[in-house]
Amino acid sequence: METQGTLLPLLVALIPWPPFIAFGLITLFTNRWKRLSHTIAILSVAISFVLSQIVFWNAIRMEHLGEQPIAIRIPWLPVGPRPLEFGVLVDPLGAVMLFMVPLVSLMIFIYSVGYMAGDPHYSRFFALLSLFEAAMLLLVVADNLLMLFIGWEVMGFCSYALIGFWYRKPSAYRAAVKAFMTTRVGDVLMLLGIAYLYAQTGTLNFHDILRNPETLKALAETPSYVAGLSVAALASLLLFAGTVGKSAQFPLHVWLPDAMEGPTPVSAMIHAATMVSAGVYTTIRMFPLLQAGQHGLGGETAFWVVALIGAFTAFMAATMGVAQNDIKRVLAYSTISQLGYMLAAVGIGAYVAAAFHLLTHAFFKALLFLGSGSVIHAVEHGHHHAGHGHGHEEPFDPNDMFNMGGLARRMPVTFWTFVAGGLALAGFPLITAGFWSKDEILGEAFHGAFEKGELLPLLVFLLLAAAAILTGFYTMRQIALTFLGEPRTAAAAHAEESPSSMIFPLVFLAFFAIFGGYVGVPEGFPGLSALTGGNWFHEFVGGTLLEHPEALPFNPVPVVISSLIALTGLLLGWAVYARRPLAAGEPDPLVRLGPIYLFLKNRWYIDDLYQVVFVRPTLWLAERAVAFFMDRVLIDGFLHGVADAVWSMGSALRLFDRVVVNGIGDGIGEAVKAAGRELRALQTGLVQNYLLVVVLGVLGFIVLYTVAPMLLGF
Amino acid sequence: MTLFGQPIPILTLITFIPLLGAGIIALTPRDSIRLHRGLAFFFSLIPLALSAWLWLNFDPNRPGFQFVERAVWFPQVNASYYLGVDGLSVMLIFLTTLLTPLGVLISFNITEDPRTYFALFLALETGILGVFVSLDLLLFFLFWELGLVPMYFLINNWGAPERRHYAALKFILYTMAGSLGLLLGIQLIWAALGGTQGGTFDLLEISRRWPALQGTLVGVPMEVVKAIVFWAFVVAFAIKVPVWPFHTWLPDAHTEAPTAGSMILAGILLKLGAYGFLRVVFPLFPAESARFAFALALLATAAIVFGAYAALGQRDFKRLVAYSSVNHMGFVVLGIAVAGYALGNPTIRDHALIAVNGAALQLFAHGLSSAAMFALVGVVYDRTHTRDLEAYGGLWTRMPVYGGILIYCAMASVGLPGLAGFVAEYMVVQGSWPVFTALTAIAMLGLLITGAFIMKAIQKVLHGPLNPRWARLPEMSAREILAVAPLMAFMLLTGLWPAWIVPTLNAALVRLFG
Amino acid sequence: MVPLTWYLLVATALFCIGVYGVLARRNAIAILMAIELMLNAVNLSLVAFWRYLHPTATTGQVFALFVLVVAAAEAAAGLALIISIYRNRETVDVENIDLLKG
Repeated sequence: METQGTLLPLLVALIPWPPFIAFGLITLFTNRWKRLSHTIAILSVAISFVLSQIVFWNAIRMEHLGEQPIAIRIPWLPVGPRPLEFGVLVDPLGAVMLFMVPLVSLMIFIYSVGYMAGDPHYSRFFALLSLFEAAMLLLVVADNLLMLFIGWEVMGFCSYALIGFWYRKPSAYRAAVKAFMTTRVGDVLMLLGIAYLYAQTGTLNFHDILRNPETLKALAETPSYVAGLSVAALASLLLFAGTVGKSAQFPLHVWLPDAMEGPTPVSAMIHAATMVSAGVYTTIRMFPLLQAGQHGLGGETAFWVVALIGAFTAFMAATMGVAQNDIKRVLAYSTISQLGYMLAAVGIGAYVAAAFHLLTHAFFKALLFLGSGSVIHAVEHGHHHAGHGHGHEEPFDPNDMFNMGGLARRMPVTFWTFVAGGLALAGFPLITAGFWSKDEILGEAFHGAFEKGELLPLLVFLLLAAAAILTGFYTMRQIALTFLGEPRTAAAAHAEESPSSMIFPLVFLAFFAIFGGYVGVPEGFPGLSALTGGNWFHEFVGGTLLEHPEALPFNPVPVVISSLIALTGLLLGWAVYARRPLAAGEPDPLVRLGPIYLFLKNRWYIDDLYQVVFVRPTLWLAERAVAFFMDRVLIDGFLHGVADAVWSMGSALRLFDRVVVNGIGDGIGEAVKAAGRELRALQTGLVQNYLLVVVLGVLGFIVLYTVAPMLLGF
Repeated sequence: MTLFGQPIPILTLITFIPLLGAGIIALTPRDSIRLHRGLAFFFSLIPLALSAWLWLNFDPNRPGFQFVERAVWFPQVNASYYLGVDGLSVMLIFLTTLLTPLGVLISFNITEDPRTYFALFLALETGILGVFVSLDLLLFFLFWELGLVPMYFLINNWGAPERRHYAALKFILYTMAGSLGLLLGIQLIWAALGGTQGGTFDLLEISRRWPALQGTLVGVPMEVVKAIVFWAFVVAFAIKVPVWPFHTWLPDAHTEAPTAGSMILAGILLKLGAYGFLRVVFPLFPAESARFAFALALLATAAIVFGAYAALGQRDFKRLVAYSSVNHMGFVVLGIAVAGYALGNPTIRDHALIAVNGAALQLFAHGLSSAAMFALVGVVYDRTHTRDLEAYGGLWTRMPVYGGILIYCAMASVGLPGLAGFVAEYMVVQGSWPVFTALTAIAMLGLLITGAFIMKAIQKVLHGPLNPRWARLPEMSAREILAVAPLMAFMLLTGLWPAWIVPTLNAALVRLFG
Repeated sequence: MVPLTWYLLVATALFCIGVYGVLARRNAIAILMAIELMLNAVNLSLVAFWRYLHPTATTGQVFALFVLVVAAAEAAAGLALIISIYRNRETVDVENIDLLKG
């Protein structure tokens, strides 16, 4: 592999370090000094940001960045036939990520200063944010799957810690555990995928696997013995399982809405706009592997799985998003839905479109989350100003959109930036970034469905189109409920615009949410294409792949269709919520849908199903079956049985000992003792008695030797 | 290193200095607690310094054993005082000498007869170190047994009041049952190799002669003798590891032992079993090992999965941590099983090498994380006098430093990348996936549940509103932090840069395959 | 001249009286005196044997003198013992002195 220079790779290798060091410094030393803590954190991200910008602007000027990426590596795990190497890699895909991630993160860091002010665990927040940032940057610059996985998991930990940041709140720590465990389901499968890939190829390096036609061919032609898939297909599906967890796709989507229990829109935004897109990034990154499986054994199975999961999730989450009242939860569902869009795009082979939507989505979704944070912040303060928060009145939920209304006048900057983000999310034609990326996905699906006549793109197109209408609807619902009409509570009436440290990031991100899409205007789009200089994004990111993907010829039909879809959804939302804003206490018009509303509101009852099917059986299995029955009853029962048997045998032997062995031994002893006791009488202690015996003895001898012979005559 | 022209017997010094310390402590007056503590700490630091020196001077690239010492010991049966180390034992010696001072440090609050306690604790270290340096099977056995006795008394006399006698008895009976077979096996090997005419306990010589040995022993075919010895060894080591289903002594012993005792039990004593597999069973029984490797892998998987489930099912904090050892040692056994399989199937040696390196690294990683976890359990137990998870709640509010450290160590235990456990577990999974594919996939279930029980522990202890019972709980003391900090540092170092330790292990383990 | 036999008979009689005294008296001092009697019986026979059987040798006389000395020493030691016993137990009645009893 040829690489570009030596200085740039070293700069890239430096990028993840500043936030990591900041994490260490804040944790170990500056925990007590809030101002110092956030200064260190922001400074570290700023350094990473500057480094990334240097790398990015250099990278986009390089010819053949795909073939000759910015890369460097060193042996990390010296074992086995060849040492596992760690290193950095910046190819076109990596370069655009490197542009987006530090930029968005820097905004979040700045925003947090205002939002988190006054929190008792202020420094801890910045420490975790820094660690998160380091992990995300590591993931972006990683040149191999294992390193990516390290960043991936550390991010997972940080998201756990941040969701459960207000650890005293039961809903917060439950959501944290849920997030950790749900994503872990995908992670362990992903780990298997990594092991599988390494076992087959002897390397985990992206460039070595994904840009090596022989390796890809071999992987596609080796059977995996599972469901008739090739190794390439199975490995990509295992890796995709990681994405399903991390990017909250069906069936592992349940954690993300709960993650909004997390303390702040800031951390929610971390999970929603940054970390979850890491999952999609990985799938996009591994796209060549997925593609290789297409022509090998098992055919397009892997594509079908990815596309259908993505499209179905996009639709399902959109329906759920419609019926939520929590301002952050609506955004959470829209995030799940949009990530589904991207994966559906990957599944129909629209590589660049997926990457494009990933990028634009990151900007406008960050904007929306920060905007919602600004709203919540304002409503919370308004609640205090309105004289509440001291008495014992009923609990007030500052996240509930039905407690807002009319905020447009109270906080105009937040309002207008939020509208910009919302329109981008809904895909408002021509003037928002979201339109261009969404249009590209729908265009690709349209092309596959109606011009090539394939089934999969047709399914994807229908699901995504339905999702897009719903997206427009709930976006408008959200804007209307939050900002339009009259304030529905005293808190909303007393809300005030947020401080400048929170406003600045909003404005900054709004810029990208509107103009970010112009880097990828389709070739041949009337008027605009000439203005923006063709589809730069497609040309650049497409270079990541071995074979540069063909840009679709401009076709006005899907553009018109997707514009109509977006506008339909928005207009529907306008008709229901904005034409006549809801007054205080008025119920949601959706309630009239009856059971459907309940079904959506309760998230299709999937959480309850999981509770019954997975959580409770697992706990039962752990507590009753394994910990108690297997270990205590079976194994220990067996052991105690053996012990009792040995004990009984010991008792029997003891009895034998006591009766027979001891009997003989003691008998002898007792007999001697008894004899002694009897003979003891002889010993009177009186010397005279003894002497008498002596004299008698002497007499006896005399008789024996003198008198007896005489009498007996011998 | 030489002194007065004589090579310094470094291994002997490392092994016996703790015993010397134990003797000296035993001679001090009963009441001078500070003296006991100081002496114990001092005498546990010397071996640490020496073993660090050993590590630095050990050359992994040189084949064979290093720092060899050999003296006549028992000429009638041809047993000798034969010591030597390779990469694997150097690592384990370092781990042992690292954990002992930390255990002493955490035991400073022992008030009940600290003199005997510290003397036993140091004697325990000698027993363990002896096993790692012995190259003579009889000596190996001697040290193997020597470690049991102090441990028994530590559990029996200083354990948690409720069930310590039961736990101590279960521990010693179970392990003794295993070592009975070990002794029998060692004697059979000696007899089969010629008894007083040519019999030997020299491990290296045995591994040269024994695998190819033919003929009969008092009329019994050598195949049968080998099978008996193989199973005797396997059972002895399997109990120690412990391999599922021989594991139930572990939760009892670990739970009832005093904090430092649990640290040593989980941190090092369990490693003796795995060490036995790698040092004794594989070189002596390559063919048998390969034949039964699958069964061993099956049991390892059972340990991983059931260990995790059992941990999840506990209400007792310490018992939960104890069961996590079953789960983590399962990965060690899985890696060992892959290596065993490779002894008979040369084509998978590349994978096996990764797996067995992972197993060895897991010994180190688990030594760090389990010792740290037990120390941390001890910290709250000392303050609250309960181990019931339901009784805690919200301790993070009172003990922020403790909370951070607990989460850090728990994450190391769960295998968070960037900390030591991940590298080891990844290597085991990596190596065993191509060999025991289905089992590795099932083991992932265990890895998943590992996350669940660690989450449960963290949540029950730290999260939630503060239980008013603990409103006056003091923060972790500097001494307690000092006892855990080195472990945390090594976790991070190994997680970020495993290359500092892996080549040393690799050089030793690669010789398993000739 | 009186034949040897008579001397011997007297000596025997004396000895028998001594033996009887030792065995029969309860007073320790009397027993001591009876022992003296037995010693004197021996002295008498020693002297008699010298005079009648080996008048040229002085062995008999010398032995007799030894016996006298021993007797004196024995009397002294014996009396001392008796006094000591008396001080401890306030009696010299041998019936009550049974320390040798097992």
